[in-house]
This record gives sequence, structure tokens and C-alpha cells, in this order.
Amino acid sequence: MSSPKVQLRLNGIRKSFPGKEAATQVLDGLTFDIHERDFVSIIGPSGCGKTTVFNIIAGLVDPDDGVMLYRGQEVESLRGRVGYMMQKDLLFPWRTVLDNVLLGLETKGIDPKRALDTAREYLSTFGLSGFENSYPKMLSGGMRQRVALIRTLVLDPDILLLDEPFSALDYQTRLYLEGILMEAVETFHKTVILVTHDIDEAVALSKRVVVLSQRPARVKAVHDIALNEHSPIAARSDPRFSGYFHTLCAELDIQTRKSA
Amino acid sequence: MTETAQVVKTAAPARPREKKRRNVFDSLIGRSALQILAVVGFFLLWEAAVRCGWLSGFLVGQPSGVLRNLIGSIANGSLFADTGYTIFEAILGFTFGTVIGSVIGLALWYSVFVARLVEPFIAAINSVPKIALAPIIILWFGTGLLSKVALAISLTSIVALITAYQAAKDADKDLQALLFSMGASKQQIFKRVIAPSTLPAIIATFRINIGFALVGAVVGEFISSQHGLGHVIYVASSLYDLNTVWAGLFTLMLVGFLFYHLVEVIENWLLPWKQQQGGTQINV
Repeated sequence: MSSPKVQLRLNGIRKSFPGKEAATQVLDGLTFDIHERDFVSIIGPSGCGKTTVFNIIAGLVDPDDGVMLYRGQEVESLRGRVGYMMQKDLLFPWRTVLDNVLLGLETKGIDPKRALDTAREYLSTFGLSGFENSYPKMLSGGMRQRVALIRTLVLDPDILLLDEPFSALDYQTRLYLEGILMEAVETFHKTVILVTHDIDEAVALSKRVVVLSQRPARVKAVHDIALNEHSPIAARSDPRFSGYFHTLCAELDIQTRKSA
Repeated sequence: MTETAQVVKTAAPARPREKKRRNVFDSLIGRSALQILAVVGFFLLWEAAVRCGWLSGFLVGQPSGVLRNLIGSIANGSLFADTGYTIFEAILGFTFGTVIGSVIGLALWYSVFVARLVEPFIAAINSVPKIALAPIIILWFGTGLLSKVALAISLTSIVALITAYQAAKDADKDLQALLFSMGASKQQIFKRVIAPSTLPAIIATFRINIGFALVGAVVGEFISSQHGLGHVIYVASSLYDLNTVWAGLFTLMLVGFLFYHLVEVIENWLLPWKQQQGGTQINV
């Protein structure tokens, strides 16, 4: 079995934030690889700096130390090449659905006519035709997050950074959006890094799961998830699902079984 | 059959859902009727009080006199001339003041350094009662139109500046971060996040600044002027002509009222995304 090609390598990333008395060390030499067309979930205890990792990759925060290699090239960040999606949908309230989807394309300076065609095409693919001229506040939470996902995908980013994108939604909507996400990832051949609190979600969707330690965060373990199916429902029905689930819970020191 | 009927009868009758008693006047027509009634009643009472000698018409004026005065000044055209003059001053002052203030306030967003540098100066300027500047402004800009506009600008620009700057500072950081991660420049972040998200605050200052612009115009006219409603009011009050004073005041009130609603129209036009979508109102 040939080893997979590395798309993004984080090597020895350190970051501390100035505090009132002492600086808080958040990331302590974080190192991991993301493969081409990978789907990696990052899990870890609350406040361990998962979002900081994303902010560093996206160029919102500069690391104190460490290097990032993108397809072998050292890069400062992947600003402009990532699709960042957060728990909040972050739709611009003064923009219609269509204009929200156009946001990134405008920023990139894509020819308006082409951008408009692309945006409409994506909206229709994701079943949001007819809502082009609605404002975000008229949509349900699930629809808003779907628009946010389209806005992320339409830019055709090299890597999707998903920071708990579905955690504010109810379970049904979450399953539905997970399905849409997985389909989109398949169709557009995307690499995804997903930060989540939800072990269940991490196991169901990911090819690999990176477990971070308490702050200052280091990589505690990397687990390959070998499920045949990654559609959200089928994955959860896989006999190996619960094994992975319990292993990861144990990694996070969550008691799941009454065992000595 | 009868048994069931019996049972139904003896069962506690379902209490009809208590209907919220609706206030009969709580409709557009009902409210308007009450409002008009209150105004008419007030003037009738006032008129009666003067006629019966409970109040001195010399000191408080008299509605019938005010009305006669209004009709007279409409007939000879002076009311329109004076009102037009004051409105013109106020609109010029409002427009320039709001634009200048908003532009500077937004520009301060670009440089945290400059913003911190000038913050105490802005606070100092803001703490001066601008009306106190009126004499000096008249010295500098003369007794004509320019001094009233300048006074209105001095009142309105600082409000617009502080509001615009604060709103720009408060603009959603996550939206800025999102756009930045897409590779947006500072210019693009300004155009796509800062400008649109400060717009509601800036429009909210329109309401305040319309009032301030009128204050500037009228106070300027008090001090020295040949035209305008402030001039009319000032001259009439020095002659103890209370009816003319009231005529001027009521006209000013009407002007301010109309402007206020004009802002509402502008707001709906500029902020379509803020419009209420007939949501449910909670009955508290």
C-alpha cells in the first residue's frame, strides 16, 4: 500500500496568547498531516485550541513558531485558498442569499457574469432555487447553514475548514446537512478538516481523526477510521462504528462503559 | 341516547377560550381619532380659558389668533419664505454635517493608531455645548445663510462622527475574519462589511441630526438674521406677539415631524433587509 500524498503538513506549530499575568500557551508543537482528499476530524477537550489551529491555517492568526507546508512548499498561511465555515452561519444580513453566495467570488474578482451563473448553478444544485432574493433572516437555521456551505464550496477552495458547522442545529437537520456535505465532498473532490465536539459525527464522516490533548495542545493520537460507508446514516449503522466511538471517548477520558 | 346526553350535560362545560378583549380604539383609524380629539380638545380648552379670562391671552397667546396669524402669513407668502429659508439652512447643515462626520468617523476605522490619537480631541470637542459657538460662528461667517449652516454642521457632524466610528468599531469581527480568510483586502473588508454594517447606525443619527440641524438654524437666526422661522419667533417674542411666536413654533414642529417621517422612508429604502416580515408580536 503506497503511502498517501500529503497535501498540508503542520510541523511544530506553537502559539501562545498574552494573558493578564502570564501568556497562555495554546498550541505546543502541533504536528500532523492532511492527505490529498482527506477528511480529518480534530477532536479534543474544550478550549484546547482547535479553533486556533484553523485560524492559523486560514491566516487569521500568526503562529509563534513552526512551519506549514502545502504540497511540499512552505507557506505562511492558506489565506484565500481555504473555505472557512463556522458554527455561526455568518451570512451577511444585508445581502440576499444570492449575494451571500457571490461574496467570495466578488472578493476574488471573478467576472460578475460568470460569478452569477456559478452562484445560481450551486444554489439550484443544493435545492435553494427560488430563495435567491430572500434575506437570511427569512430562512430557517438549516437553510442558512446550507447557504453558508454553498458560499464556502462555490469558491472551490483547496481545503475546507469546518469549525463545528452543524453544532447549533437540531439532530435531524444535522444528519441531513452531513449528508449534503459528504455528497459535495465526493462530487467536488474536496479535502476537509472538521473541528467537532461530537465524536459521533467525527467517526461517521471522517477518514481519520486527530485527537488533541488538553491545553497546551499536542497531538495525542491519530486514528484511521475504516468504515465502508461515510454517508451519515450508513456509517452509524456499521458494526465497527461503536468500537471507534468508544476508543475515541476513552482517548478523551469520557467514561462510556461501566468497566473497572 | 339520553344517557349520553346526560353525561355530556353533566360534564363540566368546556370553558370557551377566553378571548383577549380587543381595545376598540386599537386600529389606525381609532388611534388617529383619539389623537385628533386630544389636539382639538387641547386647543378648545386653551381658547376657552383665554376667553373666560382664566389665562392671559397676552402672555400665552390664543389659538384663534394663532390661526388668523397663520392664514395671514400664508396669504402674504411670508410663512413659506421663512419656512423655506429655515429648511434650506437645516438641510444644508444636516447634509454636510452628516456626510463630513460619517466620512471622518468611518475613515478612523482604517487606522487604530490615528483613532486612538484623536479620540480625546473628539471627546473634548463633543463636550463643548455647540450652541456656545454660535456668537463666534456668526463673527466668522457673517449674519447670512452661511453662519446658520455652519452652526448646524457643528452640531450634526460630531454626532455623525462618533456614531459612525463606534459602529465601525463594533462591526462583526467574525464577518471580517471570514472575508479575510477568503483573501479580502482591507479595502474590500471596508466596502463589504464595515460600510454596510454601519449604515443602520448612521441612518439612526439622521433622526437625531434632523433635530440638531433645525436647532442650529433657529439659534443662528435668533442671534442675527433677517429671515427664517427663528427670526420670526425671536422678533415676535420681543414684541410680546405670542400668537406669531406660536405660529412659528407650530410650523417648526410640523417641519421636524415631516423630516422625521422622511427619514423613515429613506431607512426603508436603504435597509430593505431590516424590514419587519410581519413577525409575531408578543402580547405582554
